[in-house]
Amino acid sequence: MKPRVAFFDFSSCEGCQLQIADLEEEILDLIEIVDIVSFREVMKEHSDEYDIAVIEGSIMRPMDEQRLRKIRSRCKILIALGACATIGGINKIRNQWPTEEVVKEVYKDADIKDNEFFNAFQTKAVNEVVPVDYYIHGCPINRDEFKQVITSLALGKKPVIPNYPVCVECKKNENVCLFELGKYCLGPITRAGCGAICPTNGSPCDGCRGILSKPDVECVMEILQRYDLTYEELKSRCTLYNTNVFNPKDGMTLIRRGKDD
Amino acid sequence: MAQSNSKIVKIITKKDLNTFVNNLIKDKKYSVDGVKTKGLKFVFGPLENASELLLDYDVTILPPKKYFLPPHETLMNFNLNKPFNVKESDVEKPRIIIGVHPYDLIALEQTDEIYLDSQKDDFYKKRRDNTIIIGVDIQKVSEKSFAASMKTHVTDSGFDLMLTYLGDRYAATIGSEKGKMLLQKYGKTKPALESDIKKISETRKNIASKFKKKLNVDKEQWSNVLVANYDHPIWEKKSQKCMECGSCVMVCPTCFCYDVKDEVSINLKNGSRVRTWDGCLLRDFTLIGSGEVFRDDISKRFRHRFYRKGNYLPERYGFVACVGCGRCGIACLPDIADPCDMINDLSHFERSDETDKFFIKQKTEVADKGIIHIPRSATIKRMEQLTEHEMLFEIEFDDKKAFNHKPGQFVEVSIFGVGEAPISVSSGPASSSSFEIVVRRVGNVTDRLFKMKPGDKLGIRGPLGNGFDVKSFEKKHLLLSAGGIGIVPMRSLIQYVVDDENRKKYKDITILYGAKQPSEALFMEEFGDWCKTDDVKCELTVDQCVEGDCWTGCTGLITSLYPKIKLDGYDSKNTIAVVIGPPIMYRYVIKCLETLGIPDENIFVSLERRMKCGVGKCGHCQINGVYVCKEGPVFKYNDIKNLPEAFE
Repeated sequence: MKPRVAFFDFSSCEGCQLQIADLEEEILDLIEIVDIVSFREVMKEHSDEYDIAVIEGSIMRPMDEQRLRKIRSRCKILIALGACATIGGINKIRNQWPTEEVVKEVYKDADIKDNEFFNAFQTKAVNEVVPVDYYIHGCPINRDEFKQVITSLALGKKPVIPNYPVCVECKKNENVCLFELGKYCLGPITRAGCGAICPTNGSPCDGCRGILSKPDVECVMEILQRYDLTYEELKSRCTLYNTNVFNPKDGMTLIRRGKDD
Repeated sequence: MAQSNSKIVKIITKKDLNTFVNNLIKDKKYSVDGVKTKGLKFVFGPLENASELLLDYDVTILPPKKYFLPPHETLMNFNLNKPFNVKESDVEKPRIIIGVHPYDLIALEQTDEIYLDSQKDDFYKKRRDNTIIIGVDIQKVSEKSFAASMKTHVTDSGFDLMLTYLGDRYAATIGSEKGKMLLQKYGKTKPALESDIKKISETRKNIASKFKKKLNVDKEQWSNVLVANYDHPIWEKKSQKCMECGSCVMVCPTCFCYDVKDEVSINLKNGSRVRTWDGCLLRDFTLIGSGEVFRDDISKRFRHRFYRKGNYLPERYGFVACVGCGRCGIACLPDIADPCDMINDLSHFERSDETDKFFIKQKTEVADKGIIHIPRSATIKRMEQLTEHEMLFEIEFDDKKAFNHKPGQFVEVSIFGVGEAPISVSSGPASSSSFEIVVRRVGNVTDRLFKMKPGDKLGIRGPLGNGFDVKSFEKKHLLLSAGGIGIVPMRSLIQYVVDDENRKKYKDITILYGAKQPSEALFMEEFGDWCKTDDVKCELTVDQCVEGDCWTGCTGLITSLYPKIKLDGYDSKNTIAVVIGPPIMYRYVIKCLETLGIPDENIFVSLERRMKCGVGKCGHCQINGVYVCKEGPVFKYNDIKNLPEAFE
């Protein structure tokens, strides 16, 4: 029997699911190897019977947490899809401030009291709520990596996600190093697997696939000094996707180098 | 006709060189690649017009290695529905590469030594044969290059044509018949005069003086400098600044380690086995199926890279595997990768005379076993579940050719779409085409093996590696110690020595076996058969028993068995001891053997590492300068007891 797959979205732009919808004719190949039983972006049917749950988005509210736990209890394999799910991503920017302040700033005097839709807590990545079996990193995800994870699972093997920095892929693409052009690139501390798509197209890496080692380590300081760059600027670049790296209370999604996640 | 170093030289004007290159491009018979700009840097890339070609560059981001060992290369294509419908990947059309500097030519010649040895890499060879190289003498020196110190700033070989800029024109030194024909067919040249030859040699002489970066020691001294400083704090200190980004190994012309993996199309119908660049600096480089990582510490990986360049490969092949191109120095953001700086730093320190520490002198060449990475088709004949996690497979080659392995050797088991895994052969040598393996379910390949059934096809490469030299064990007592699944390869030796035909060649045999718990103990019935005569003794132990376990052996670690052995009955000098087990076991068991008075030269071990290519190329299984897939997995303890990484 083909594994049954269901997609779920939490706080996100749903762009990672859109990447999958964008597989176009390959979708036909995909449904040959798996049964898609729930995928809001492309179909109206839904079933609660599934083997693999693919979760996009961050967990922001108690009601999200409940829903996620229910999904976890129903599936055999849970995959976190995209930066919002794997590391909290952009949604974690707000964790720099107390949630009450953030809510007040956004909703001002609107009457949201006792409305559970607005009952927010500090943003969590999926693995801060339930165990995650596999991660498909990125903002958005790399379609090839999604295909590789799905085919691996269909073949009964464990998908392998790179455990080394973007520099490896950037060098294979023979790019001019962005540090040499005076840019802040998070490639040296960010997990590879994207094919170094941003640096290859001239944009510095923003770390959407998660930070492998803390940015305040000696080696990074050394580089900043060498290229006349400031730590404050680097830090602010890190907070686009990796606010958690600087929040000791919230550090559980930091994947330290040398350790498997 | 004027000659330079007994090579014919032609003179070609700048304009005619342009025409020559354009003629090559227009012909479309070749892919014509040359040095071009990329931003402020230079790269080798396809030329659409001669005007793109830049011969006065300093250094390219990547070396021309990428043409011969591409970052991502398909080794074979397969069909998942028709197992063993394997197709080797095709090779591209012939290529001409223009503008290769001497140090890169020398790096390619070094790669040839490794990839075109007795177990040649056909994929590399086809590309090498298919490529014409037009070199160019260095005009601008890269700031980080120290090629003159490595004597790689000029070369007399490795090119089909070599261009030297003489101010208003180029000299083209002919290096091969191919180069000569190419120049005749596509170019317009004049013979060189004696004065031109003189100018070439002057130009080349001048190149050396342009290098600002210099080594304090001769390159012949690298090996000694490194050997004397293996435990120096500099490795720890410098590696603290290492981001493990792998840039240094990716851009290196003499880093040629690779990984092999299977990629599958999304409809699960087709797939390909691909080879990608890998590097010893990356942590997962040595990761094995059971999750163990060798050289886990970054300082050890950092050190390994320098030793591979300056000691391991030099001792094996006779050349320093660094050509001084300076690419790693440019690519390393914290600036710790530069070998010139490292060797200069180390050269200030005291050195000892210790040598011969990190490699094995003897040459154990693998016999030519066809195209590397292409497995032979085989069928599972029988499966027998031994424990919860271990399964025995009897496998037969479909061509029915005899397997002819030695005890202790291994095979690469291949399942298309999943991958390859090194597995020890568990049956004794036999003249048949079938053999047995025992698999512990730990990784992707072994997990899939568990789900297969008799009649299913799989791929086998091997037998690989160095097995036990059973002849040298003759007329000796044998003390065989196995821990955990170490009994699996040990069984191939036991089956051989207890076989009726061979038994009389050996004196008393003692087999010690330690397992974690009774449910994990393997081959219990066979143990009964093996020691049916008095001269074969078996002692079994488990780390622990729980209530309800049926166990008549001892309880405790395997080391608790040694005091029981009485060696005074026969002398320990005439005892051969073999140890196979998990990494942690060796040090303790060998101490026990030494207490028993067994000399080190009588001790043999079999080590586990990540054997990937099986033919001493991909670099994954290296213990210091030793390739486990080639010199091992069976080693004389004496040969490796001083290898720092062997029993870590």
